[in-house]
Amino acid sequence: METKGYFGKLLFINLSTGAIENRTIPEADIQNFIGGRGLGMKILWDLIEKPGLNPLSPENPLILMPGPYSGLPVPSSSRTCVVTKSPHTSAIQSKYEHASTISYSNMGGFIGPEIRFAGYDGIVITGKSDKPVYIKIVNDKVEIKDASDFWGMPTDKFDKKFQKELDDYHFKTCYIGPAGENLVSYACIINTAARAAGRGGTGCVMGSKNLKAIAVKGTKMPNVARHKEFVELIDKTRTKFKESKSTGWWRYGGTANVLTSSSYQGTQAVKNYREGTFEDIEAIGVKTAKDKIWSRDFACYVCPLACKKSGVIKEGTYKSHLVHDGPEYETGTMLGANLMINDINGLMELIYAGDNLGMDIISLGNTIGFLMEAYDKKLIDETFLDGINLTWGNVEASMQLIKKIAYKDGIGKLASKGVKALSDKIGQGSEEFAIHVKGHELAAWNVQNDPGMGLGYATANRGACHMNGENMKTQDNNTIVDSVGVCSFAYGEYNESGISELLSLITGIDMNEEKIRLAGERIFNLEKIFNYREGFRRIDDKLPERFFEDALTVGDHKGAVLKKEKFKKMMDEYYANRGWDNETLKPSDKKLEELDLVFTKDKL
Amino acid sequence: MADTNLKYANYSRRDFIKHIAIGGGVIAVFGNYGFRYYFNDDKTILKSIAVDFTKCTGCRTCETACSANNHKVEINGEFIKGLGDPHLSNIRVHHFNPDVDVPVTCALCPDTPCIEACPIPADKETGRKALYRHSELGTVVCDLEKCIGCTLCAQACEKERAGIIVPNPETKKPERMCTLCGGDPNCVKWCPYGALSLLEIKVNREFFAEKPEKIAELLMNKFYHVEAEVENGN
Repeated sequence: METKGYFGKLLFINLSTGAIENRTIPEADIQNFIGGRGLGMKILWDLIEKPGLNPLSPENPLILMPGPYSGLPVPSSSRTCVVTKSPHTSAIQSKYEHASTISYSNMGGFIGPEIRFAGYDGIVITGKSDKPVYIKIVNDKVEIKDASDFWGMPTDKFDKKFQKELDDYHFKTCYIGPAGENLVSYACIINTAARAAGRGGTGCVMGSKNLKAIAVKGTKMPNVARHKEFVELIDKTRTKFKESKSTGWWRYGGTANVLTSSSYQGTQAVKNYREGTFEDIEAIGVKTAKDKIWSRDFACYVCPLACKKSGVIKEGTYKSHLVHDGPEYETGTMLGANLMINDINGLMELIYAGDNLGMDIISLGNTIGFLMEAYDKKLIDETFLDGINLTWGNVEASMQLIKKIAYKDGIGKLASKGVKALSDKIGQGSEEFAIHVKGHELAAWNVQNDPGMGLGYATANRGACHMNGENMKTQDNNTIVDSVGVCSFAYGEYNESGISELLSLITGIDMNEEKIRLAGERIFNLEKIFNYREGFRRIDDKLPERFFEDALTVGDHKGAVLKKEKFKKMMDEYYANRGWDNETLKPSDKKLEELDLVFTKDKL
Repeated sequence: MADTNLKYANYSRRDFIKHIAIGGGVIAVFGNYGFRYYFNDDKTILKSIAVDFTKCTGCRTCETACSANNHKVEINGEFIKGLGDPHLSNIRVHHFNPDVDVPVTCALCPDTPCIEACPIPADKETGRKALYRHSELGTVVCDLEKCIGCTLCAQACEKERAGIIVPNPETKKPERMCTLCGGDPNCVKWCPYGALSLLEIKVNREFFAEKPEKIAELLMNKFYHVEAEVENGN
């Protein structure tokens, strides 16, 4: 292969037939789609040839993609992107019953590099096992093993038991909890008991395959084209991180640092997105977490940021419970501020439960918030909630609901499908505060005071996504970050030029900034084309009415609300900039040619 | 845990004060590794890698830095640092649940059970067996010419200490002994968290040779106040 830095090899596992094979990645795909989210999308496109595939059918592939940085000592290059067809999103008007968007979800930890150490640029799992299994990979040796004894186990316990079963600490693992097994549509994949490929139902797809876990161990090493310059650049980059102020900032509190500042800026999801400021935010903010919960910082593979915090609950009902992570900005907001919960100990127990049962805490917190509002407005009563008195700020009630959702018990059955399904059932105007786009719940950044974030949510290819970016440039750029395998938290130390320099040294081909920008745009457009084929149109890029109706009433940004006409104009400009049809959002033929995506035309 | 170990940690007074000053409860342990009494009349000063477990975040940068420096590659006649394949590293980080991380490396044991176990007769002039102690650094070195790959050193390390020495899968000759990178250890240099340091030790010292599982157990108790069941598979 001309392009260095890759094994050029994918591991294909079919759980229906037990077939295990290596497939070569076409060189052009590597250069055009890079890795991670991008290459994963190309593989998904090649494997799903028709729209309307049931995401829970055996044919839907679950694709685990590290990037070209993974396994190399590039600081903060720990990420793995999980790509699949979403089991959680849906279109407003599509002729396909199972229309859904693509899904990509990105996790840190150690498993991405380990996949590369085993000699693969990615793992593609298709089919469905007839009994619970796990996959064990040691370099070229791949086994599908019985996991019946582990089925039903929450993630924390499983993490411990699984290490024992594997009997070698060098294995890196990821797995699902009860929520994934029970096909909660926003179930996630967890590793190290807390890190998650959280969004978009990756764990649900894994559960649909009867796949409990993946364990990987390898002793290989990716190569690089320009060795000397590469190792010199690594030393330089490490020094840069050491001297950077933001490194200390990340270590201090991780994303929890912005819990309070976001609240003051009126950009936090509070009371089911009714408000942007939580008056009690200090009670669950970073200082409180440091004082009351956290014991130590820990980091993903070769990362100098250590944004993950673990600790122990020291007082109250949950005293002495160990917590692996949080509050982060997302988990702390979605199960804290958004539910008006100001008890840090209770909040930590809820976060632990979300991780332990294996659910996306963003969708989970959003769903609970929606039900709290519906209950508060008396659109539903206690009977609807199986007797749970789901009042604002109620930790115990939230805990009961979380368990019901993971096990699809009573109201949990419907709530396990997210806010769109709930508001469809409840009706009575509840869709105005059902906070989702394309069925995917919004995250912890509120919109009334941040139109750019609103556009990001509305136009994200996996449904509402706070990491999407507020214009074409940032969106395409974020696509690249998710494709090379580096963490977006560290991106500030790299920027376009750093990403380009590293990729050029690794691959040995000139990956200049323009080429990379184009790749980002190409990937974003291929995702878009996939969604278009499923029947997603402009009406699906729709923000909930709340953001245009309910001006903020609390805090310094009182009165902030989105203006409909202005927002529409922003969207029009965005689509024009993209080169997409203003109504159907179909990328123009000119755009397809420009991006080397002409091959998609005969599949539309 | 902290107090107990500090009591035994016989490093220089300056470092002792420095670590205490960082904050009560800092744990610094030489290499790994539990207590073993050893007296030697030789007053040699040695340096060894010390781990501050309160600072370690488990990122494994040390593994890549060690490997890169100790496994150089030859390119156009020039020896250049490797890519940092962590599997070749002499320092290894063990992850545990509950979340603690334990970097493990050769402790430069004063009594070297590995060298004791080496069956190759000592050279009359140098006094060296196939496995011997480096005269300046105090590191354990293998003479690849003399070594017959019997793996007795690795067995002794596994049985009596933390199991650092691993036979090469092909030659069976011992690997993973810390080289201190000739006096400027790369793991210390590149640790992003300042969790590793090169500290002066006296040969005459009380000595740590605890297995990582045991250290993890103590750390879990320290960080989370739990008597956790240790689940490391190794």
